[in-house]
Amino acid sequence: MQLLINGNPITVPEELQDVTLLDFLRDFAGLTGTKYGCGIGLCGACTVHLDGEATRSCQTYVSDLDDARVTTIEGLAQTFSGEGLHPVQQAWIAEGVPQCGYCQAGQIMTASALLRRVPDPTDEEIREEMSGNLCRCGTYGRISQAIARVAQEA
Amino acid sequence: MGQQVETRKINRRLFLKRTGWVAAGLTVAAYTSYPVVHSTLPALPTFDAPNTQDGVLWLQAMADGRVRFFCPRMEMGQGAGVGLSQVVAEELNIDQADIECILPDTDQVPPFQMTVGSQSIAHFFDPVSWGAAQLREALRRLAAKKSDLPADEIKDGRAGFVLPDGTLLGYGALVPDTGVIVGDDQLLPDDALPRLALKSVKNHKAIGQDWRHHELEAIVTGQMTYARDVQVPDMAFGAVIYPPGFEAKLLSADTNKARAIPGIIGVEINKGDDFVGLVAEHPFVLETAIEALNAEWQIDETLDQGQIDARLDVQKFRSDDDFAHTLLSSGDLGTGQRHAKHRVTGRYDTPFAAHAAIEPRSGVVWVKEDKIEVWCSTQDPYFVQNRVAKVLGREAEDVVVHTHRIGGGFGGRVPCQASEAAARLSATFNRPVRVQWDREDEFSNNYFQPKFSHYIEAGVTSDGKISHWDHDFVSSSILTGTVPGLIGKAIDMATPDDGTIRGIVPQYDMTNRRIRYAAVRTPVPINAWRGLGSAPNAFAIESMMDELALKAGIDPFQFRLQNLPPSSDRLANVLREVAEISDWGRPTPPDTGRGLACAVYKDETAAAVVVDIQIDYTARAVRVTRAWCAQDCGLVLNPHQVESQIMGNIIWGSSMSLKEQITIAAGRVDEDNFHMYEPLRHGSSPEVTVSLVVPSNMAPSAVGEAALPPVPAAIANAVFAATGRRNRHLPMTYESTFDETG
Repeated sequence: MQLLINGNPITVPEELQDVTLLDFLRDFAGLTGTKYGCGIGLCGACTVHLDGEATRSCQTYVSDLDDARVTTIEGLAQTFSGEGLHPVQQAWIAEGVPQCGYCQAGQIMTASALLRRVPDPTDEEIREEMSGNLCRCGTYGRISQAIARVAQEA
Repeated sequence: MGQQVETRKINRRLFLKRTGWVAAGLTVAAYTSYPVVHSTLPALPTFDAPNTQDGVLWLQAMADGRVRFFCPRMEMGQGAGVGLSQVVAEELNIDQADIECILPDTDQVPPFQMTVGSQSIAHFFDPVSWGAAQLREALRRLAAKKSDLPADEIKDGRAGFVLPDGTLLGYGALVPDTGVIVGDDQLLPDDALPRLALKSVKNHKAIGQDWRHHELEAIVTGQMTYARDVQVPDMAFGAVIYPPGFEAKLLSADTNKARAIPGIIGVEINKGDDFVGLVAEHPFVLETAIEALNAEWQIDETLDQGQIDARLDVQKFRSDDDFAHTLLSSGDLGTGQRHAKHRVTGRYDTPFAAHAAIEPRSGVVWVKEDKIEVWCSTQDPYFVQNRVAKVLGREAEDVVVHTHRIGGGFGGRVPCQASEAAARLSATFNRPVRVQWDREDEFSNNYFQPKFSHYIEAGVTSDGKISHWDHDFVSSSILTGTVPGLIGKAIDMATPDDGTIRGIVPQYDMTNRRIRYAAVRTPVPINAWRGLGSAPNAFAIESMMDELALKAGIDPFQFRLQNLPPSSDRLANVLREVAEISDWGRPTPPDTGRGLACAVYKDETAAAVVVDIQIDYTARAVRVTRAWCAQDCGLVLNPHQVESQIMGNIIWGSSMSLKEQITIAAGRVDEDNFHMYEPLRHGSSPEVTVSLVVPSNMAPSAVGEAALPPVPAAIANAVFAATGRRNRHLPMTYESTFDETG
């Protein structure tokens, strides 16, 4: 079995087909940008894209992935046609969103999937969509600002 | 006692020599003292505040012209590293790109005060400024020597000096190939040391700017290495089963079955201290192996929340008149009561609370013959160093802690228990070992904010002054919360805990007042949580202030102002400011309400908060929709960071007010993940508006927790305004609002 992670084919050893995508990414593929927070799909720190859709990698098993393309925070910039960082990453820096930063990879993956689907979301849509991602430092206000900035600049 | 405490002086040069850290360009001074404790005493956190002169220990001029800043604060999102870098930049006339700001390992700088209590800027601004100024002046002397000119003709330039002929001499060209820039005996006395960071704010170039933290790009691209992300060659993967209840004892575990699982390196069991751990070649077998161990425990299941509530009941202590500590007593309560036109009593309770940082802790430890290496994140690396040394029976100086950005601290990350377990397993199995806590471990095995139970009886005179203030409360010691048994009880009797009583004295004028406190120890482990006692205490005080104002028919904003003494002008000022920006007094729509509260954090930072709440009768929910905060924290090094901290405090305060509660059931912590303990989510969070008192020429003061204390009372006051119902217990929910009548 093979996974396509950030455009790279990675062969899954037989004995690892039952592990979660999160564990596979972090402890086999060495992609530690995707974070563990709760293990039960409630905090969103482990969010990745499967074919562009935001998905909780702690609730996804490697064996269920079939042919899905996996994008992690490390590969997000490649999905953007322009130079440098993905616009959401750029906005996160411009707005100075992160405090401790631990949840932010998941926040950015959720936000970028939202903006792909809805390029100009309302404030209500942003609040609702982002509610699956916990931030204990309280960066919610700046997250909303950063998403609005991307929508305005698009 | 058999305990031997020895304090030995270590010369700064010795420290450098021992650690091999002597580098060209280092600023150097004699290092004062370095207490080394050889004893059976437990390892203690690093309490001592820095001396001004310590600043020279943290800076290094490099040959490429840049300056390395060994930032003596751990980073957990508060951004102390960026604010203090701005101080370095101000003194040395450099930009952010000229500074390499790093989190030091324990062998790179001598021990520094643990990163707690919002002290990073308040305590470190002055030493960092002093040290950077000494480095600049030492470099100026080298420039004078090099150009054969008197030092007073060498003027400040960007990242260097300007000579009389206009040539710029960069710092890099002045850094000697070997040796140090300045000897211990060549530092300038304070009165001869120009301090650019202490100049009026209008002259500042770096201070006051919205620098972004230098690690943001690493964070948003997934390249930031948190403790959980550390990989060490040949690393093995450990897991530990912690006792599933308070004081639970290990009965048995089936080691054979676990050992037989392919990939398991070994199992370590010790009934003496209830340790069950194992180590594997890869992490994917750990869960199966842990289950195979089938550990059985003896738990005392009798302890439950009802018992704890009964012990932490302020009214029981009142009826027994059993308060060990009278914190304050002046005037005469009886006289005050006679002068009162209106009297109010209220009992206010706040629950145990968890930190619930999103990163569960992790440690990688490699125990070698000559050296022990630890990779973790902690608010006190020197405490972890000492604790790991104790676990292994080694000297602290054999242990090096490599520090990492913390994925949320909030007071919960002083120890790193995962590193202590990893140290044990590494020593046994002779491999570098990683131990990671999962979410359930975080909820079950760390310490908590204590429960508080307050009772206040107070009154208002006919002219709107506070006639008397009789405040009793019961809680648990925080700073010594993990000290065991009888020693703990002796401490409780000897002295009230500084953390628990934080903010207990109201700022208001009151002649007749008495504040009493009693400490209760339960098996629930207690220690620091954001703001310590300040938020629970302000919840009681500022709720009562609202109750008094309303009873007397006075606007709560006016009532506070007219009871503040002239010495509280900074608090009065932020009160007026928050009233202004929130348009206090404007009519509110139906089913909404506004509340106000204020507090001074640690006698230094004044904050006032207004919130709007909305009652959603259909969804049966109380929501904080808007919040305004005005804060005076003196000199602001980085307004963006300060605003972020205030926003964080408003969210944290809303979460603690509406959502959070740890309960004890059957001898253990009932909540074990976010389905049972769910911090406030984005969609339920208020929009926050911040106003800072700037410019200020006051010294910079606490920020990280300062805006939190007023938040719970502001929300309770707003709920009352909307519903006429008074919540005196946290968390406030829709149900509790409509069950309780005020």
